[in-house]
Amino acid sequence: MTTIALDESASSNAAESEWAVETHGLTKRFKDNVAVDGVELLVPRGCAFGYLGPNGAGKTTLIRVLLGLTHADAGSMSLLGYEVPHHRDRALARIGAIVDEPRFHGHLTGRQNLQILAAAREPAARGRIDASLDRVGMTQRGDDKVSKYSMGMRQRLGVAACLLGDPQLLILDEPMNGLDPGGMLEMREMITSLVAEGRTVVLSSHLLDEVERTCDAVAIVDRGKVIRQGPIAGLLADSAFELQIDCSTPDRAGALLAGTQWGPGVAIGPDGLRVGLAAGTERQVVAEVNRLLVEGGVSVYRLQEVHASLESWFLEVTTRLGADQ
Amino acid sequence: MSISTVADAPPPLPAATVPGGRITDHRGSWLPNGAMIATRFMELTRRRGLMAALILVNIGIPAVFLAIRLIAHAVAPHSYGPAGGYDIFSAMVAGELFIFGFIVAATLGCTAGSVDLTEGMFRHLVVTGRSRLALYLARIPAGLAIIVPLIAAGFAIVCTVCVLAAPTQLSYQNVNAPVGLSKPAFETWAAGHAQEVICNFNFNIGPNSDLVQVVNSVPCGGGNGPGVKIGPGAPTTTPVSHAQVQSAARQIAASNYADYSGRFLSPSISLMVKAGLWIELYAAVGFLVGLGLASLMGQRTVPVILLIVLELVLTPLLSHTPIDHLVNVQRGLLGIAVTHFEPGGLPSVFGGSHNGGGGDPGVTMTTAAAIGVVVGWIVVWTGLGAWRMVKRDA
Repeated sequence: MTTIALDESASSNAAESEWAVETHGLTKRFKDNVAVDGVELLVPRGCAFGYLGPNGAGKTTLIRVLLGLTHADAGSMSLLGYEVPHHRDRALARIGAIVDEPRFHGHLTGRQNLQILAAAREPAARGRIDASLDRVGMTQRGDDKVSKYSMGMRQRLGVAACLLGDPQLLILDEPMNGLDPGGMLEMREMITSLVAEGRTVVLSSHLLDEVERTCDAVAIVDRGKVIRQGPIAGLLADSAFELQIDCSTPDRAGALLAGTQWGPGVAIGPDGLRVGLAAGTERQVVAEVNRLLVEGGVSVYRLQEVHASLESWFLEVTTRLGADQ
Repeated sequence: MSISTVADAPPPLPAATVPGGRITDHRGSWLPNGAMIATRFMELTRRRGLMAALILVNIGIPAVFLAIRLIAHAVAPHSYGPAGGYDIFSAMVAGELFIFGFIVAATLGCTAGSVDLTEGMFRHLVVTGRSRLALYLARIPAGLAIIVPLIAAGFAIVCTVCVLAAPTQLSYQNVNAPVGLSKPAFETWAAGHAQEVICNFNFNIGPNSDLVQVVNSVPCGGGNGPGVKIGPGAPTTTPVSHAQVQSAARQIAASNYADYSGRFLSPSISLMVKAGLWIELYAAVGFLVGLGLASLMGQRTVPVILLIVLELVLTPLLSHTPIDHLVNVQRGLLGIAVTHFEPGGLPSVFGGSHNGGGGDPGVTMTTAAAIGVVVGWIVVWTGLGAWRMVKRDA
């Protein structure tokens, strides 16, 4: 009989791996459509990792492949250091996941649904039901039938189901769907607290703003391929940014800057003067602009670097990629 | 375009510091644990609509039928016979419990085999890492734990009423007769009740038989003619002696003895045990077939309809007469194979032959073949359902 008791080699490999998720050349086809196209993905342990992409980019398909809900056509992958599909049962023992919209038996209560899922996990999982419900704020509604739950409550119950296995890795597919602003804030705080406990959270979403607020690192996926990945701060630092200038005479300031190397990026709008600067521009440039304006007789009240948001960066990257193709 | 890598990603935490520890359960095993079976049982029994329908069909219908008979007999005992007894038992078992027990069990099996998929729980369960085969197999004991007591409850009601409300005297072909007589004793009793026997018992005689004259001499009141069937060209009435009438009654009784000897006031314990096991067998197989078929198809409605059509249309249609080129197909039908194990003393369910039962010869098969067919249905459908469960995209 196969058991999940970890053998020495599998256990030591898992402990040595620094990646919560690791894929190489992972590919999934649906007839002629390549939903996951040679994905190379490395998710570090202990962080919140965003998996971003437009609708139909292959986010959910990748998650389904990772979790064994469907098979891969090519490539290799490992979860928490365990090669899957060979050691999938061992890996999944410490993974919680929501895939697509969380659905449950509507005629049962939330607690009874969790009992079914806990029964399929290790015996200790049953003892975590109350704590899981409490953590997602569902203690009061845990004994109501799921058919009476709102979408947001089902999302919470889905997260509670993830927590039953005391997971090292949580994979959440669009967890903000159906949540009101308050619910989104609570979900964000929960993800942050889970990461603070040393767990890894992989968050698939198309809500860029939420990912930017929640995650430490991201991977951008488009048409089944990962086109960028890394820490958010690092990715944005490499992008172009804008200098907003609040001054006494914006027209004169614009004329002064027009004759310089920064001239093409100068624009005057209702909110003042803006100067677009290329990616990789050093901060010294800001001081040079300030000096030029002051020496030209313009009173400068405020200079502010405005970096692109993840959303504008995402649009920039995906638009450029589309143009290249 | 430059593709950044995760070389700049946040430094990973050492694996040893993350939550969760060593898991030592048998998650990869194909054997379901007790908790999985118990929660599956809970999930099925909490379907109030389904359970109400199953209870109504399997317990409610026989209970209401017997209750009406009890009341009617209590109110007008001369117009309505006793509610229980052997005849009612055999009719209820072969006519209602056997067929509807299968349909009830198949419906439950189809529900158990499909709801995880249709209600979105399947992928939650797969993500636990539990063997998909174990997830499938957990449904079998859980479902049987529902269907076996349910069938037993309906059967127990029938047995109770049929024993406690059994007639005190056997009504054989509309004649009150003593029970359990030997053949000579039955003939002697017939001689003493010659007129009732001749007027009510069934008996075929040729037109030139000596009995014709005797039978025609017996006056049957109330507009009823003799129960004997006389061929064409029979002579008209001629005076006969009392001894001739008694002799004719003895002959008619002797020819009915085989049928009479199988009649009882109430079902025997042996018959009730055998009949109970027989309908439980059929229901259990029906559950397993429904489970496998619904798991294979990924839905409940169509498999339920298919199994009802099989049970109520195809099997009765194909069980009456052997068809030369299709006889092996007929033998492969589950209902016909299970009928082979029908206890003697019960009327044939589908009109075919069975082991000791009455009815038309119908489609015959050996016991080994019948066992093979039943086992085959179980193995094939369970195998197909489990295979689909393991291979299906969640």
